[in-house]
Amino acid sequence: MSRVQNLSATSVPGVLLDLSGVVILLLAFACLASKLFNRYVAYYGAQSVVLSFAAGVAAYAFGSVELWVLAIATLAIKGIGIPVAARRLLIRRLDLKRDAALSTGLSTSLIAGGGLTAFAYLVTRPQLLPHGLVAAAVVPLSTAVILLGALAMVVRRHTVAQLVGWLIVENGVFLGAITLVATFPFIVEAGIFLDVVAGVLIMLVFVSGLTRELASASAAELRELQG
Amino acid sequence: MMILAYVLIAGPLAGTIAAAAGARARTAGWASAAGAGVTLAAAVWLVIGQLHRAPLRGLGGFLYVDPLSCFFLLTVAVVTVLAATGSVGYVAAEEAAGRLSRFQVRLYYVFFGLFAALMLASMETGNLGLLFVLIEASTLASAALVGLEGKAASLEAAWKYVIISSLGVTIALAGTLFLFYSASTPLTQHLSADLRLTWPYLFAHAHALAPASLRLAFLLAVVGYGTKVGLAPMHTWLPDAHAEAPSPASAMLSAALLNTGMYAIIRFLAITRAGLGEEFPRVVLLVFGFLSVVIGVLFMVRRGNFKRLFAYSSVEHMGIIAVALGFGGVLGLYGALLHTLNHAIAKAVLFLTSGDIAVRYRTRESAGVRGLLATVPLTGAALLLASFAVLGSPPFGLFLSEFTIVRAGFAGASPVLPLLLLLLLAVAFVAFARTTTGMATGEPLPASTAGASPYRGGGTALTAVLPVVAGLVALLVLGLWIPAGLGTLIGHSIAVLG
Repeated sequence: MSRVQNLSATSVPGVLLDLSGVVILLLAFACLASKLFNRYVAYYGAQSVVLSFAAGVAAYAFGSVELWVLAIATLAIKGIGIPVAARRLLIRRLDLKRDAALSTGLSTSLIAGGGLTAFAYLVTRPQLLPHGLVAAAVVPLSTAVILLGALAMVVRRHTVAQLVGWLIVENGVFLGAITLVATFPFIVEAGIFLDVVAGVLIMLVFVSGLTRELASASAAELRELQG
Repeated sequence: MMILAYVLIAGPLAGTIAAAAGARARTAGWASAAGAGVTLAAAVWLVIGQLHRAPLRGLGGFLYVDPLSCFFLLTVAVVTVLAATGSVGYVAAEEAAGRLSRFQVRLYYVFFGLFAALMLASMETGNLGLLFVLIEASTLASAALVGLEGKAASLEAAWKYVIISSLGVTIALAGTLFLFYSASTPLTQHLSADLRLTWPYLFAHAHALAPASLRLAFLLAVVGYGTKVGLAPMHTWLPDAHAEAPSPASAMLSAALLNTGMYAIIRFLAITRAGLGEEFPRVVLLVFGFLSVVIGVLFMVRRGNFKRLFAYSSVEHMGIIAVALGFGGVLGLYGALLHTLNHAIAKAVLFLTSGDIAVRYRTRESAGVRGLLATVPLTGAALLLASFAVLGSPPFGLFLSEFTIVRAGFAGASPVLPLLLLLLLAVAFVAFARTTTGMATGEPLPASTAGASPYRGGGTALTAVLPVVAGLVALLVLGLWIPAGLGTLIGHSIAVLG
């Protein structure tokens, strides 16, 4: 049952999972270091593609049909669907380019991100997981991704940037889920997936409505100034 | 009994289906109220039927109803009936005044029913993963209600709500993962994964769970689900969402949604106490609880939007419940559950009254409302009585439950904490009553438009009054006498928690 925990870190799937985790963490850092809305979405999309690769590796290693389904769904929805939708419906339509609503400088948030990564290792590695297993390598990475996503949500005040931050948090949880507990009940995994999709849809509605309202409000102010 | 559990969840969907099929405001409203009535009847029936029986199990552990579920189902069902009935008048009046379009009215009923059904479903599942899925889904359904009015302020509140709550609940999911991992010991190799994530199984094997992992899981669950409960410092979405949602939806948020989050925390609490002992969860809950009470009370001092005032009072009361869970013991748990029910009814009444006031005065600012007792005596009296009820004055139910909680505190080692709680309750009393008595008494403002009734037809006017009166009567009854069945139910719920 717990083949996952027995997957050693030096086996081929173990190395691949570990490597995917590292790339996912680096992409979260890249997102944190960027100021352009286009890049946020691009990095998120790339991260999701790597995540679906990791899910595929896990599916192959454990011969699990459900994980294959999840890997394909991740690629289709998180890797392609959400980035395309965000680009079409938000970035292009609302003409978003440079994110000016940062509450700290980029270097400060990167240093904070480094600190959080170290913290993630400190909390999860020694006491929770036995050494030599792939979970011991990936769970700190996924915890760090969760913390970095949360950090992105805190330091960025623009709604689209916060949305991407939440999606990165979600990816971090998913990374932990496939390696730590590949035996998670499928209905639950599917439900989590549906929640993310529904969440993104409803957030898209709010973001575009909010941007429209604010735009019309500022336009009204301009008219007042003219009159 | 099994069929009853399904009927209970399906009840509120009557309004959703009616509205989705294109029914007008009034028809959808009555359908939703009738569905809620069915749910309450099913909940009462379920409580009576299950009181002395083994928990209901089905669907491979996904369905699990024990006395604790029954208690929370009953609470949410009562709130749903009150809020659904109150919706009929409120939504019709808002539509007549042109503040909600017909499309928005339909959206309201679609999501109101979904929201209620998802919350009820989350209390009927024994699978902690599914619990997360349903709670997150209920967040999304209620976010649509918060942003319903489509103004910049309500959209912003809805955004804040959905993003903070989703982040919080995702953290709770990470906690659930660690709990699942802590159960992956050699002892459990032979079990299917579905079972390893079910509450009864985890509770029965709590002593065998990996302690470090379990500790982290509990902390993450309290922070995560605590975001939904509105525990400080994760409460920041709560005042905005409660102020901007339509009033019956605010009642649902405050009286049902917060309790759903608390229910999830209680499930984690039981496992953690069985696995790690009393001390660790006790400290965690007392810290978050007292912080919430302090923050809630401090922000109640400010005057302004009265719905925000009620929202901060919810933060305070959720803090009190967390403190009661922290005090622990039979007395503390009894107080916590009794307070959950009392607070739910009182807050539903308060928010429904606030809806009545908002519809009449077209303002949510307390400064714009004065002399309610003179202009609309019934609403004024309801506001005063509900305020005193929520503040814990006798003879209402909250007096009894807060008294029980303080007693549980004095039963512990140090009298400092219960004394602090009493002090904070006194400050809350002054801060809260200052605003609401100001609204109810005094000379009516000259420009007040509150003379004419905003409700068309006796039926809808009645729906504004009926739930408020019913709720107040229930609070009074609960203050004087706990029905034997309810006492037994709470007793059995505590027994479930070990």
